[in-house]
Formats: sequence, C-alpha cells, structure tokens
Amino acid sequence: MDLLASEWIKTRSIRTTWVLAAGTVLVTVVVSLLGISGLQADWQADLPADFDPTGVSFKGILVGQILVATLGAQAFTSEYATGQIVTSLTIAPRRAILLVTKLGVTALVALATAVLAVVCSLGASQAALAAAGLPTADLTDADSVRAVLCAIGYLVLTAVLGVALGAITRSSSGALAVVVTVALLVPALAPGLPGALGELAGTYWPTTAGQASYTTTGTGVLTGPAGLAVMAVFTLWTTLAAHITLRTRDA
Amino acid sequence: MHTTNPVTLQAHALQKRYGHLTAVDGLSFTVRPGVVTGFLGPNGAGKSTTLRMFLGLDRPTSGAATVGGLRLAETPHPMRVVGAMLDARGVHPRRTAADHLAAVARAGGVSRTRVPEMLERVGLGGVGNRPAGDFSLGMKQRLGIATALIGDPAVVIFDEPLNGLDPEGIRWARSLMRDLAAEGRTVLFSSHLMGEMELTADHLVVIHHGRLLADQPLAAFIADHTTEHVRARTPDRPGLLDALARAGVQATADTASADGIDVEGVATDHVGRIAATAGAELSELTAVRDSLEDVFLTMTSTQKEAA
Repeated sequence: MDLLASEWIKTRSIRTTWVLAAGTVLVTVVVSLLGISGLQADWQADLPADFDPTGVSFKGILVGQILVATLGAQAFTSEYATGQIVTSLTIAPRRAILLVTKLGVTALVALATAVLAVVCSLGASQAALAAAGLPTADLTDADSVRAVLCAIGYLVLTAVLGVALGAITRSSSGALAVVVTVALLVPALAPGLPGALGELAGTYWPTTAGQASYTTTGTGVLTGPAGLAVMAVFTLWTTLAAHITLRTRDA
Repeated sequence: MHTTNPVTLQAHALQKRYGHLTAVDGLSFTVRPGVVTGFLGPNGAGKSTTLRMFLGLDRPTSGAATVGGLRLAETPHPMRVVGAMLDARGVHPRRTAADHLAAVARAGGVSRTRVPEMLERVGLGGVGNRPAGDFSLGMKQRLGIATALIGDPAVVIFDEPLNGLDPEGIRWARSLMRDLAAEGRTVLFSSHLMGEMELTADHLVVIHHGRLLADQPLAAFIADHTTEHVRARTPDRPGLLDALARAGVQATADTASADGIDVEGVATDHVGRIAATAGAELSELTAVRDSLEDVFLTMTSTQKEAA
C-alpha cells in the first residue's frame, strides 16, 4: 500500500502525466469528429449498409491509444532517463512488486482518462451525427453498451501494454516505436499480406482484435469481448516479458 | 543519541564480469558499524559496480554482496536498512524536491513530517518547492543525501558525495558522515578527493582492477605504505651531510633550497643527535609523512607496472 501511494505521488507530481492524459482525451474526441465530418459530405451516396454509429464515435482511439500508451511507458522510461530508477529500486528492491505497483497506478490513471475520452468522444460524435441527420447510436442497446465498455477497456490495456514496453525498452522513443508498429503499422499493412496470413493478421492481431471489440458490427469471427480478450492475453504476455527483463537485467 | 541495530556490509568473493571484462574480481571485505569507511580506487577500479551490487542494482556474476547477512531484496524493510546516493542524478528533474522526498518517504512508510525536517537538515529548507532540475550539482547532492537518510537507515552508502559541493558543503558532508558513524551506523563512501578521504575516513577499503589492495584503518594503511623521512635545514649543509654520511645515514641535499636536507629511514631524534655531535646548527627538523594521496598514487602505479 505504501509503495502504491509512493508511485501515485510520483505519477501526479510530473506534469507530463497530465499533459498526456489530457492529450489522449482531446485527440480521441477530435479525430472521431473529423471522421464523422468526412462521412457528412457523401453519406447519402455511400453510407455502408452496416453503418455502425457507436463504433464510428471511437475512431479517434486509433490515435488516442498512442498517447495513452506513452503515458504508460513513462512510468519506467522517465525513471531510466533521469536516473530516478536507482532511487526507486533501492527503496523497493523487489522488482516484481515495483512492476505491479506501476501497472496498478497507471491502470487507474488510464481508467480515468479512458472514461473521459470515451464518454466525451461518444457524446460529441452522437451530437455531430444527429446534427448532420445521420443515424445515431441506440444507447439502450446491449451491443452499444458493450462497445462503450470495451473502448474503455481497450485504452486501459493499451496503457498497461505501454508500461510493459517501457520496462523492456527503457526508452521513450523505443517504446513509442514499438507501440506505433504494433498499433498502427501492422494493422495497416495486414490486408496486404498474402492469403491466410493476411486474414489471420486482420483478425487476430491483438490491437486489430481489440479495436473490433468496440464496434457493434465486429470484424470477422472475433466480436466484442473475444476481441478484447485477445488484446488482454497479448498484454499479459508482454507484461510477463517485462517482469523477466526487470528480474534478469542489471538496472 | 540515535541508536540503530548495527548492520554490516559484506562482500563474499564478489565477482562481476561484463563479457571478457572483469570489473570486480573476487572481492571479500566487511564494512563495520560505528566508523566511516572510505572506498578508494582509481577510475574504473570497480567501486561503483561494487556499490551497485550491494544495492541489488547489478547482479554479481558469482559471490555475494550482503547487508546484515541478506541480499537487500530479502530484507523486510529495505529503506530502514540501507540509504544510498549513487549519483546526484537519482531524481526526476521536473519533480520538486519536496514531492521527490514525499514519494520516497511514503514508499518506506515514513511519516510525511520527515520531509521538511530532512530538507532543513541538508540545507534545502527554502527550496523544497523548486524542481530538482533547477538545482546546482551541490544542491542535487544535498537532495540525494536527504533521500538516503529519510528512512533513518542503519547503513549509509554514498558514491562521491563531495562532488560539486563548495568548501562549506564539503565540511558539512564530512561532519555529517562522522555524526552518522558516531550514531552507530555503518557508513561507506567513495571519493577521489584524497585529502577529504584522509580527513573523513577511519577505515579504508582500497581496490584496483577489481581486486582488494587494502582493508585496514587509515592510519595503519599510511604507516604501512610510507617510508619515514626527515627534513632538516641548517646553515652548515656540507658539514651535516658529511656527519650523516659518516653515521651511515642516507641523506641528500634538497636541490630546491640552499639549506635543506632530506634524510631517509631514520627518526628525527636520531638526526638531531648526529647534528648536535657534529656541532651543526639546525633551523628546522621535521618528520615528513606521506599523505594518503602519495601512498595511493605510489601503490596504484606499482600495481599498474605489475599488471
């Protein structure tokens, strides 16, 4: 408990934490709205048959996830960059406990950030859809509620993934490069992969599966919680890798 | 008077290899409570690596570095056992000194009231609300020392604590270390400032190329590795040189002055007696002891040739 409180003091006393949290909310909302304004121009001609007014509210998560992952990575990378890690490991020499504590504090900050980002993005997007005369989400529908919860869960998992990547790479730029590759590059390139490989990557790649979880239509065989579960398992494995890295490498 | 359970630091056949490079090579020594122990060695001797192994930051290739018989990660309350300052960087530059200490205090279950107390004790009373990145090197050292001491630890490890301190700060750090030892704590510090080491340390652990060169009280270390010599000044230099030569004592005229003589291997009273018998008037007769710096440089340079 003491260590959790200590990590909380560390997290809240660095302005970067709050800049990244606010940035995550802002970027998620703005990019979602930009996506909708793109639809407005030609919706009557091309609105897809399976138009998903809930999922479209969360398009901004594609960019917001990068910021929230960086927020997570900061938990370790800022300490390695500044030498603070020496102090942290001297007062808390059991590294597994330090990792769990940092994961806990980051998950809580990310949860608050994710709730704000998802609620604001949903509210603004639904208002924009309504104003443009487009179909809006039915928030009493179980699928919509599930999509909202999965969107929050996805952002929290991304932050946790960031913590693990920060511990492994020890560098903000290194962690950022991995996050961009995993969350943006691979999903963008996956459709270009040959045959079965492309299909596999297009469905089961962890961030692709995770992103499918907050739509009401889903992509391929994975829908809803199953997609988020794939992302969770991937995050868990990365966290285990971080644990092994912390245990075996000199600080 | 503060009382702590005495805790010793022990290196047992400690070894650390990086690929083909052996940074620490079979070190065994004990650092005891109640005295200030200086950790001495040229750059690259393996001092920092050894200190990092005591703190569990680096894992020994073989052997062990223990605190009170346990590895630091096995001790129930690490902050109560060891406080350390390895380099003045151990602080996030954007965090204020007070927030930094509050986070450290909280981790060890230490009362928050210790934060202003510690800031005051290290002379940072007025600047607790400033980010540590704005501090001078000397102020960062003071904050590092506060970080090390906030848990009231039985063992204190400082790596180059005097770097960046002004003369007043050096004097302060010196008396702080002596006070900590007097309170029964185990104090281990490294420094390349030999004069300061000589003034502060009671005991020395000297390493070179990762191996132990000496582990003994400072006075004994100097006495063991220095040849006694005497400096005399006399208006009758040729007369005294002649008398010393006849007595079989090795003496040379000091080329830097007109009347100085350096005498090797005998005590002052012996030189005085010879001068009196020879009727040579003495204007100075001094026993010259090598400084720690002289001894250290001689030792490490012979080691270099031997290596």
